[in-house]
Amino acid sequence: MTFREATAEQVGGAAVLVGSTRQGRGGLRKQLRLLPVYILLALGGTFALVPFIWMLSTSLKSQAQLFVFPPEWIPDPVLWSNYAEAWNALPFSAMLMNTIFVTALAMFGELASASLVAYGFARFHFPFRNALFVLMLSTMMLPWVVTLIPSFIIWRVLGQINTYDPLTVGSLFAWGPFYIFLLRQFFQTVSREIEEAAIVDGANSMQVFWHVMLPLVKPVLLAVAVLSFQGNWNNFRGALIYLQQPLERFTMPLGLQFFQASLSNEAPRWHYMMAMSGLMALPIIVLFFLAQRQFIEGIQLGGVKG
Amino acid sequence: MPQQLQWYASTLSHYVGAAVAIVALMWLTNRGLRRLGLRGDAAMGLALVVPWLLGFLIWNAGPIVASLYFSFTDYNVLQAPKVVGLANYEKLISGDPNFWPSVRLTMAYSALTVPIGLVGSVAAAIMLNQGVKGIGLWRTLYYLPAILPAFVTALLWRLMFLPTRGGLVNSATEPIWSLFSDKPPGWFLDRDMLLWGFVIMSFWGVFGANTVIVLAGLKNIPRDLYEAASVDGAGVLARVRHITLPQLSPTLFYLIVMGIIAAVQVFDQPLFIQLPPGSPTFLNVYLYQQGFTLFQMGYASAIAWFMFVIILVLTLAVFRSSTAWVYYESEAKR
Repeated sequence: MTFREATAEQVGGAAVLVGSTRQGRGGLRKQLRLLPVYILLALGGTFALVPFIWMLSTSLKSQAQLFVFPPEWIPDPVLWSNYAEAWNALPFSAMLMNTIFVTALAMFGELASASLVAYGFARFHFPFRNALFVLMLSTMMLPWVVTLIPSFIIWRVLGQINTYDPLTVGSLFAWGPFYIFLLRQFFQTVSREIEEAAIVDGANSMQVFWHVMLPLVKPVLLAVAVLSFQGNWNNFRGALIYLQQPLERFTMPLGLQFFQASLSNEAPRWHYMMAMSGLMALPIIVLFFLAQRQFIEGIQLGGVKG
Repeated sequence: MPQQLQWYASTLSHYVGAAVAIVALMWLTNRGLRRLGLRGDAAMGLALVVPWLLGFLIWNAGPIVASLYFSFTDYNVLQAPKVVGLANYEKLISGDPNFWPSVRLTMAYSALTVPIGLVGSVAAAIMLNQGVKGIGLWRTLYYLPAILPAFVTALLWRLMFLPTRGGLVNSATEPIWSLFSDKPPGWFLDRDMLLWGFVIMSFWGVFGANTVIVLAGLKNIPRDLYEAASVDGAGVLARVRHITLPQLSPTLFYLIVMGIIAAVQVFDQPLFIQLPPGSPTFLNVYLYQQGFTLFQMGYASAIAWFMFVIILVLTLAVFRSSTAWVYYESEAKR
């Protein structure tokens, strides 16, 4: 089996999907029979979509329009200026820079370490390999609260509370077992012959890894990159525990929490909060539309191959 | 700005330092093991897993032991921990009026969200698998909520569930609630209702991602199974019961285990939603308050271990039961 065939089978999505929809299109009568299904699906879709529209709508309202009854979907006037006002209410530009910095380092660390470790588990025979692999998988089930306090104390002893170290340096130690698992599954599908051909040509293990293995698993690597970006961009928990004032040190998620706490005391300024929530989610939404397949494959693989 | 650059430079230097140290250690492992006479293959493999092995020891194994120890101490971070025996656990079991209500809330939340989310996403995935047109579009639409950060989801649903008549959910459901009372439902501000608010919100958040996973599982079911069943005259329900669900069981198993782990540990959402005064909160938030607001790290560690045991027991129960209901192709063939 060549590598391409293997991935198509593993992903189970794209290739099979096309085939089955083609079979399913049995003409107009079949589609009519599916009418109740379409209605139910549309109801589900509405449920998924309405909150997004409400977020956008609220973000464009004035304070006075927030609580009118019945609710207005298209505010009049449309206040685009809310976005600028909300942005300037706190040092969000600095927070954005911090978030980009943290996300970039953590993402690189996760990708580099997870793919090396996965390569080790997939391709080499060493003592206790299977036991270590099971141990690694079982850490996926370890609640983060159990290790939270000692980890906090380690960073405190190292004098790195209120720095970006806890949010980034740990990524170099392959802290994402799920990513290792996904990548290992895919390294295993690469045909040995390709690898051996490279070794005959005089390549060492690391050259094989870099020039042969990584390019071949690029689709999964992308899926992992997308999930990793999402996880680090949204990392609220880490920021909450490790970062403190001044506000310029916050990342966006923590800034948003501060923002909502400071805005919700008297008259909650929901229009500003929704504007900021939308801006915070925007990169992820854009990335999602650019890399849908990677997002969806990334989470599917865990469920189907697991 | 210059101040920020300083912060970045400091972290960057530690980051690069750690990276260099890890690579050096990998290199040494490879060299050292080879010198000790290990096969080249084995030495290289062990060297490659060094980053994870180090991470495991520093961030998992060490902390597990440490947090177990802290749970038997009185520790406020500033002074050295003082061993107090079982006092934290005694407090947790009988001395803390806020603890058990939090346990109850968290358990009720998990018991509701996991099955509701599962049934909803299986139903949606089965419908999507009927050969509907535009499947890519539906899939995208359903998956969309799952990409939002949890705290944005929380803020958004707080807004949707505003307890006034003008709140979106309340105004849409007015014909229903006005039958029973003239005051609109309070949702997150009503102690009896907030659980449902959280359940609906979590359903919205995970439903799409789970649907997509189940859909992939459905696509993996060999088509000839259905064809054989049709020939034998099996109806739709019989096919779902005897083919779809058994074939899907490994996927469902994965979703249940991951769902339980996530639900018991829910944190971001409740932290962004102000609960009414006097209401219990979710366990993880309670732990955070005890540890990082009140600096009772010992007591917080005891709560962490309590949660750990709960999750372990629940996952083990699912694993145990799985032999009865999870069907693995490879085993059947054997």
